[in-house]
Amino acid sequence: MTTSASPCRSLLAGHSRNFRRAAWPASRLRPVALGLCFLVTRALAAELPTLWAERIKCIVAVEYVTETETERQPTIAMGTVIDANGTIIIPSGAIDPRAATWQLKDFMVYLPGDATSTPAEYLGQDAFTGWHFVRAGEKPRAHLMPVTAFAAKGAPPVPALAEFVWGLGLRTKDEDFAPYLMQSHVALIQSLPQRTAISQQEVAGPGLPVFNRDGTLIGLAAASFGQSYLQFGRNNRPNPVLLINVEESSAFLLAEEMLPHLHRIPKNVSGRPLAWLGAYGLEAMDREVAKFLKLAAQSGAVVSEVLEGSPAEKAGLKNRDIILALDGKPLPQLKPDRVVVTYIEREVERRAPGDLLALTVLRGGERVELKAMLGEEPKLLREAMRKYFDRLGLTAREFVYGDAIDRHVKAAETAGVVAHLVKPSGPAAIAGLRVDDWVKEIDGVEVKSFADATAKLAEIERDQARPEFVLLVSRGGETAVLRVKLK
Amino acid sequence: MSRGFNQLLDAVVRIDVREIAFEAGAKRYASSIGSGVILSADGLVLTNAHVASPRAVEFSITLSSLERVGAKLVGWDHWTDLALLRIDMDEAKRRGLKFSHADFGDSDKLYPGQTVIAVGTPYGLSRTVTRGIVSNKSQYLEDVRGVNGYETGMFNTWLQTDAAINPGNSGGPLVTEDGKVIGISTRGFSGANNLGFAIPSSTARRVVAGLVQAGTITRSYIGIVPTPLQDFETFFALALNRGMLIGSVELGSPAAKAGLRGSDILLALDGTKVDGRFPEQLPAIQNLIASQPVGASLTLTVKRGTETGDFIVITEKLESRVGEEWALEKWGLSVRKVSRAYARRNQLEDASGVIVIGVQPGFPADAAGLSRDDIIIKINQQPVASLEVIKAAQASYEAKPAPTLFEAQRNRRVSLYILKP
Repeated sequence: MTTSASPCRSLLAGHSRNFRRAAWPASRLRPVALGLCFLVTRALAAELPTLWAERIKCIVAVEYVTETETERQPTIAMGTVIDANGTIIIPSGAIDPRAATWQLKDFMVYLPGDATSTPAEYLGQDAFTGWHFVRAGEKPRAHLMPVTAFAAKGAPPVPALAEFVWGLGLRTKDEDFAPYLMQSHVALIQSLPQRTAISQQEVAGPGLPVFNRDGTLIGLAAASFGQSYLQFGRNNRPNPVLLINVEESSAFLLAEEMLPHLHRIPKNVSGRPLAWLGAYGLEAMDREVAKFLKLAAQSGAVVSEVLEGSPAEKAGLKNRDIILALDGKPLPQLKPDRVVVTYIEREVERRAPGDLLALTVLRGGERVELKAMLGEEPKLLREAMRKYFDRLGLTAREFVYGDAIDRHVKAAETAGVVAHLVKPSGPAAIAGLRVDDWVKEIDGVEVKSFADATAKLAEIERDQARPEFVLLVSRGGETAVLRVKLK
Repeated sequence: MSRGFNQLLDAVVRIDVREIAFEAGAKRYASSIGSGVILSADGLVLTNAHVASPRAVEFSITLSSLERVGAKLVGWDHWTDLALLRIDMDEAKRRGLKFSHADFGDSDKLYPGQTVIAVGTPYGLSRTVTRGIVSNKSQYLEDVRGVNGYETGMFNTWLQTDAAINPGNSGGPLVTEDGKVIGISTRGFSGANNLGFAIPSSTARRVVAGLVQAGTITRSYIGIVPTPLQDFETFFALALNRGMLIGSVELGSPAAKAGLRGSDILLALDGTKVDGRFPEQLPAIQNLIASQPVGASLTLTVKRGTETGDFIVITEKLESRVGEEWALEKWGLSVRKVSRAYARRNQLEDASGVIVIGVQPGFPADAAGLSRDDIIIKINQQPVASLEVIKAAQASYEAKPAPTLFEAQRNRRVSLYILKP
């Protein structure tokens, strides 16, 4: 069971970090023997191929392009159809959270085993489930079937330990996204905090459904997790490596964690409204600490910082308060300990701005009751305005609330822009500008706003006679004067 | 060789040091060797700060007569990489040990190409003399790693020589042909040929006087990061040979409080014109600020954009970024006090707390999950205002082992840990 610790760890790694695991570059070839799965299936049960043939109609491959200043990067993800309108969910990690929504282009849907694609529409991401929603065009809809058609009437079944489970996979683009079948048995069911089953082997592609022996939907495969291996070299000692299968996963959310949330289709591409509390750096406590603080069988989370102007601040939450309960419900003791942080985040994300959230906190040995009215999340990095200046070799990005948090400055008192992209070997890069540098002055004049900065940079860019310009940048609390030579 | 040179030879000593290190969650001893030069009949020995530091627990001086004698640290100044020892004169008298001493020469009167000689005990070899010339009288040498992590080199330029300087030469004198000490050999460039560097006697003479008097050098600090103006003159529309660029201003420092900021141009200090266009001109400006009395009011004439104005800055005492260290061996935990500079740099609320600099695998601190660079803020709810707080907590733990609650911060994230017996 050496792998048992690492699965949970990477499952918890969150939406953003799993980006590379759930999606892979379209160009890469992955030769894997497929025939084996089919042979084993037939031996087990004659009707499984029939069930499989029906259920491949509820999965698709989704391809999109991330268009940055200097390149177009195609990505492929696997999706599950959730309704009769051709709505498809793809895993949170399938899209880089740093990408602005307007950089996501050319969404296409491929039916399994079909080389032709049809345009699709990106609907946005739901913060609570993390799913991205995509809608297929009219034409392919006739060939699609929502996965809910295979859901149980009434309460979704929970697979028993050792129960036989099977799921769907999709091959690569070169293989026309040929659908295939995987099967396994349930090895463990965990709360992470969503109820998640871990099967003995890979059971489905991340984002694709998992079924029981009768063909009833029992879950949705999550991002796969790492497995520890030892790598032996000829002369070296064995080297521990963590391998992650990005195409197939052995962890799946139970249907009870999936079906009730399928209606959460974003109302707009930004995914707003987004509920916001403003308690930064939540850190879980281990059982030893809970025991020391006489917290019996519950858990708690330390609030590292209460953010300026946030609902948490208005509610009277203080730095280093320990959150014990939400709406009177004590925080559960989950394993690994840090799952409780996800638990709290989800409790906020499932609510809407304007909702009340009661917090019970431990402050200097005393229990304090607070009531927070959740607010609207401040402008996110992916929503910030940006402008690229090719001749200067940089993208200026609007300074947003998160930038102020990162730099430990008051959001209300800040100006300037952030270097979002620095073109390698471009004039700005040669002058020493780095990504995330905070540009405070241009040519000795303070930057007041994004519009101010872009106007100034555009003027510099237009002036072909200009030999150089000077930036004052701040990096890690220190400033530097950079001289950008244009000639 | 001259009589002066022979006398100098007899004043050069080998220094064996045993020092304590706290890094790995335990107190560990290490030994090293360096060179030194006796400066007076009452047994003052000048060497480098990276040879003799307050962490040393034992010094042993090997005289030219091949007799060994103990010594104590009189003072050290890592900013100039100089330290001063005193030979145990009671022991020397009791054993009838004889030694001669060397005199300083004037490093300001040196000229490039002048013959100089380095004397020392490289690699612990017995007294070794190497010869070269002055390659540069005032070389600027920035070393971000400093002296075992302590800042160095801001307040002096260096004598550069092609006389061979090897590890173990450190602290030995660089002398003229008549045996006058014009520098203290301090470092070579590894991987380079014949690039040796010495602290000039003009600096050493001043530091020695201060260390004899107070055991330490007190300097003033205002928190500006000087940057050579180098071909920025046109951009800033400056007159020739004038001004120094303030690259950055430390958050919370006196300069920041006075309203100075990065990209300001310093034109004059208390009316004295400043010329800091090239790196080698910066140490003198830094030293000018440092030599003001602590708490002095300085007038900085500054050009910002098209305007020129005066800023009044009240100096504070210069402190190192490296705080005092200690090892809490029962917990397997090495810590370093948060310094004022560290707190400002990391935007901490204040300079309380200690930084974890090492944990011993399998010991309570490691088992609880503490790791390097965590900042311990509280122990059993009590703020760690000083090293004494954590030492007292460890003492009570030793007397009666019980689970101890630690509050620590890592990248601004606060976590709780229980250290169990």
